[in-house]
Amino acid sequence: MPDGSQKSRRQPTFNTIQREESFKNPPKTGSTYPILNEFVTPHIESFNALFDDSGLPKGDGDGRGLLSLGLKDIGERVVFDGSGELGTESGQRGWGNRLSIWIEEVSIAPPRVPDRDTWSTERKIFPTEARERLTSYRGRMQAKVCWSINGNIHPDQFVMRDCGLVPIMVRSVRCNIRNLPSAELVRRHEEPEEFGGYFIINGNERLIRYLILPRRNHVTSLLRPSFANRGPSYTQYAVQIRCVRPDQSSVTNTLHYLSNGSAMLRFSWRKQEYVIPIMLILKALIGASDREIFDNIMMQDYENTFLTDRVELLLRSFKMYSLYTGDQCLEYLGDKFRVVLGMPEDWTNQALGAWLIQKMVLVHLELARDKFRMLVFMLRKLYSVVSSSCCADNPDSPQHQEVLLPGYLYGMIIKERLEEALNQVRNQIATDVRKEEPPVDFLDKRYITKVIVKVNWDIGSKMSSFLATGNLVSPSGLDLQQASGFTIVAEKLNWMRYISHFRCIHRGAFFAQLKTTTVRKLLPEAWGFLCPVHTPDGSPCGLLNHLSRTCRIVTAPLSVAEIPALLAAHGMTLAFSSSIDGRKSLCVQLDGRVIGWARQSVAQQLATNLRIWKTEGRHKVPLDLEIGFVPESKGGQYPGLFLFSTRARMMRPVKFIANGRDDQVGSFEQVYMNIAIKPDEVEPDVSTHVEHAPTNFLSILANLTPFSDFNQSPRNIYQCQMGKQTMGTPSTALQHRTDNKLYRLQTGQTPVVRPHLHNTYAMDSFPNGTNAIVAVISYTGYDMEDAMILNKSAHERGFGYGTVYKSQIIDLKEMRGAAKSSASPTLHFGLGHDVRTAEGNGQHTCCHFLDKDGLPFIGTKVDSGDPIAAYIDEITGRTRFVKYKGDEQGIVDGVRMLGGDAGDTELQKLHVTFRITRSPVIGDKFSSRHGQKGVCSQKWPAVDMPFSESGMQPDVIINPHAFPSRMTIGMLVESMAGKAGAMHGLAQDATPFQFSEEDRAIDYFGEQLLAAGYNYYGNEPMYSGITGQEFAADIYIGVVYYQRLRHMVLDKFQVRTTGPVDPVTRQPVKGRKRAGGIRFGEMERDALIAHGTSFLLQDRLMNCSDYSTAWVCRTCGSLISLGYDDISLGESSTGTMKATGPGGEYCRVCRAVAEEDDERARQALATGQNPDRSLLPGVKVAIPSSNVLRSSSKGGDLDVVAVPYVFRYLCAELAAMGIAVSLEVR
Amino acid sequence: MNQPGQQTAHAGSGSFIPAPRQDMEYICADCGAKNEIKSREPIRCRECGHRIMYKKRTKRMVQFEAR
Repeated sequence: MPDGSQKSRRQPTFNTIQREESFKNPPKTGSTYPILNEFVTPHIESFNALFDDSGLPKGDGDGRGLLSLGLKDIGERVVFDGSGELGTESGQRGWGNRLSIWIEEVSIAPPRVPDRDTWSTERKIFPTEARERLTSYRGRMQAKVCWSINGNIHPDQFVMRDCGLVPIMVRSVRCNIRNLPSAELVRRHEEPEEFGGYFIINGNERLIRYLILPRRNHVTSLLRPSFANRGPSYTQYAVQIRCVRPDQSSVTNTLHYLSNGSAMLRFSWRKQEYVIPIMLILKALIGASDREIFDNIMMQDYENTFLTDRVELLLRSFKMYSLYTGDQCLEYLGDKFRVVLGMPEDWTNQALGAWLIQKMVLVHLELARDKFRMLVFMLRKLYSVVSSSCCADNPDSPQHQEVLLPGYLYGMIIKERLEEALNQVRNQIATDVRKEEPPVDFLDKRYITKVIVKVNWDIGSKMSSFLATGNLVSPSGLDLQQASGFTIVAEKLNWMRYISHFRCIHRGAFFAQLKTTTVRKLLPEAWGFLCPVHTPDGSPCGLLNHLSRTCRIVTAPLSVAEIPALLAAHGMTLAFSSSIDGRKSLCVQLDGRVIGWARQSVAQQLATNLRIWKTEGRHKVPLDLEIGFVPESKGGQYPGLFLFSTRARMMRPVKFIANGRDDQVGSFEQVYMNIAIKPDEVEPDVSTHVEHAPTNFLSILANLTPFSDFNQSPRNIYQCQMGKQTMGTPSTALQHRTDNKLYRLQTGQTPVVRPHLHNTYAMDSFPNGTNAIVAVISYTGYDMEDAMILNKSAHERGFGYGTVYKSQIIDLKEMRGAAKSSASPTLHFGLGHDVRTAEGNGQHTCCHFLDKDGLPFIGTKVDSGDPIAAYIDEITGRTRFVKYKGDEQGIVDGVRMLGGDAGDTELQKLHVTFRITRSPVIGDKFSSRHGQKGVCSQKWPAVDMPFSESGMQPDVIINPHAFPSRMTIGMLVESMAGKAGAMHGLAQDATPFQFSEEDRAIDYFGEQLLAAGYNYYGNEPMYSGITGQEFAADIYIGVVYYQRLRHMVLDKFQVRTTGPVDPVTRQPVKGRKRAGGIRFGEMERDALIAHGTSFLLQDRLMNCSDYSTAWVCRTCGSLISLGYDDISLGESSTGTMKATGPGGEYCRVCRAVAEEDDERARQALATGQNPDRSLLPGVKVAIPSSNVLRSSSKGGDLDVVAVPYVFRYLCAELAAMGIAVSLEVR
Repeated sequence: MNQPGQQTAHAGSGSFIPAPRQDMEYICADCGAKNEIKSREPIRCRECGHRIMYKKRTKRMVQFEAR
């Protein structure tokens, strides 16, 4: 029966067997999920590009790595020994011998075992060891430093200088697990799906985050009111270009428009900004005459009086410098910049000026003529913006943005550190020459070697600290706007969070402080490049984005050297032509180089041709070439044909309709293209491209939300966040992980309803949740306000059961009493004599936990404060214990003994993993995949749960009120689809944008439900579990995938009655960790006052806080002048009777005053003077007796009052300032 | 340096009730070989020279409440 067999043999949709097979026998070649290696390529290839053997295509270059190119750019440093004859040629002191030093080459080796270790059979170090031993994954860096004297290069004049251990990116060209297949990776204790792209620093996985930068080699016009504050006659207009050298370091040149019509070029050198009149540079570049400059800027547009006026002013205003030739200009520049640049003293001013222009002005161009043309173009664009014939560009739009890739930043930092080291060598020699003790001999190889060795070349530790902190220490700032926050930890909380780290892209820390929200806006230009859904809400919203799923970043150099000739052959006028009409011609640029001019129609034709050629691979036009044709418009973007072939651009694949080929589209050109989303949306003669899939604009995570097109968009944003906080399966190599904290869901399942990308991204290898039967019903009242009721039986069967792995590191080197300097440690793990280990009575209690070696038994249950390790102090001979830090019960899951780098040190460091069980409890947070989070409010007994006609009980009950305002229809569809899928044994495809108004999801899944014997709409009659009566309404019940979030009450609850108090104020401390309280603040106080609940107020703010009693003097009102007389021995001890209270207490101030008065009275009696000196005789002042202090009590009249302790503290502090506080006691 | 360490290891178990002296056995994190490492010996696998050791699971009874 062919029919029957086909029916019974249905294609499996969950691929369980296939997946199990790949778990058991990981592929011996390649990996199971190749796409995972694809999406980290920008990380890895940008790192690979540092090296000469990068494996990247060569493009136009010679295939040299960025480090080599950087060394070329650093050049040489020159010192003179001052032994020469005095003369005009050789400066004031006489230069003498000329020593020039340079770095010939730099090499970074893969991580290897140090040579001291003679016993290891495996000489490579693998990432897992770095992770487990909590060290860094680093390779040795060496630099070949060469020198020459008076230009004579001798082959022995070099030193190989060790530059320390540099962190290596995992799976890069220098990594030992590069290109290993899954089976090998598993053998190396890695994930079978390990894709690398991060560094391992002290056992943590850290990665350099993508950062958005202005698009390189493209002139953007800016309109910023703040530019006008730069100085007199500055205006808000400027054009800016970020020029990138071949080694990927960049310089930003800004051309400011001045209100007098001229322009100033701004650049920065070692974080210091400099501005130079543009005319000076135009002249210095090619020695252009005024006529030539005028012609080049005007481009035959003589009717344009706006332009003529300004160019005339530009030329006239430069007359005051009286510099006429190019050489004069170079001379002038060199003279002004000589001190700043620090270049060899024997260079002429002219050479210095040329060098400055070479290094700081339009550095992406080599030739002076190209620089000149580009500067003229910038001027034309600037004048065009000023005259409003074109608009300012939006620097926040992805059109004018590119990405800072990790490897390029890494290379820039290494380059700068090398340059610093070289400068230090130069300065050291220069200092020695100046000191002349002993006189320096350049011909002595030992001396130069000594200086090179003496200088700090430890680049490895600098790179480690950069990666560990994310802080950039740089003299030049690397043309970046921020100096910190470059790196993040790749947290393995779950698979979703982990993979989204590698796709996240930050706008820059600078923009986070900005008050305006324009930078955070979601722009249409970002379509297909940045995901509109996947961004956090709150402060980083819109600044921290994620790349869309299909968005690539170009990392391979392209070969485009033949494109100018190709374009010229097809109608482009070459750039050197003098008869170009600027009104009609559009500029054609390739990577910020003017390669020609063409009429609008020709330019458009060229763009079309290029697109056809590049998609079909003809004329060697690379596919990743970006063809940005900006047509002429009235007041729009400045027109032209801009071609980009450089790296670090965002590109994405779409289909070119004309020939049906795959095309790559960049963010610059996309703005001027018509890309249909679905094939049926293609408009003839308008659409040129069509998307491969309508979901390509979403990020990986956003793509994984089932039926996200049915949801209100903010809910999808919430899901993208909650998916990343889910307790899931962080790793399949859990035994080899040393993370501080890992969350693991024990009962992970594959969702019944999942988009088809779920399989592509290995989500089933790392399950993230559980399929739950969910009833939408208001049942007990415990499901109000987003609470959910859990079926107790479901919980007992393991629904949402999780485990937390925590680790504690015990390093004896950091313990008290550890030998700081000596090589042999004085602390050793183990139990000493003073611990009775023998079984029976009197056995030390630690033996319940600790083995003979002083390490904990694996599998022991430990509570807070239990010993988890013992060590002996050699000096005192005593055994000391390390206590378990956590406050919940944990189980020792693993004990790792960590050796030293070379394997020759005894045990000093221990890594203990604890397993903490976290069964779901009331208060734990769960969510569906539709931004519907809730807190478990009750574990309801199964007998009391409602049941359906077939006897099904829900695992989870949620309240119907969760839906109307949130409009997460996707969840309702998922419920139906899940129910039908579970009944038919189907994995339901939940890819968004599959259904339409004609072909409705409800109908599709309704039919399936009907076929399974259910109600078409997913409702079922249900019965109360308590009364057994049928509910009046049918209940919506189905299967929804539930995630358990990592926020659990056990980590959060904070409660106290009494507890630790602040020693100064005696108020309760704050903070959950210290068993502190939650502040009962002013607003809470106001609420209690408003309610008139004075007893509660008294209780909270006084009795439960810093209640104290204090003596207050009724006479002077002082709180701080209490004194005691010891009256226990009787009153006669002092002889005189003094006024005290019943306990002997008195006010010291009042008593002193009273005694003084008495003394004065006695003296007055003795001398016979009038005791009342202060008042004139006969004058009387009427003062109410209550206002007269100094009553007759003489300091003995005190009272006890209840005051907050802080008040007493305040009185004491005020007294210290000389302010007396007086209380009135009634 | 090694000498006093050995002594304490002996004495630690010997000064009270003489217990059969056992070396602690650990498992190499790389090759999985069993390694006897005494107190104050370097952490290094005898087979492959690897520098991480795992402690073996205890043979003592471990009993938990199944709740």
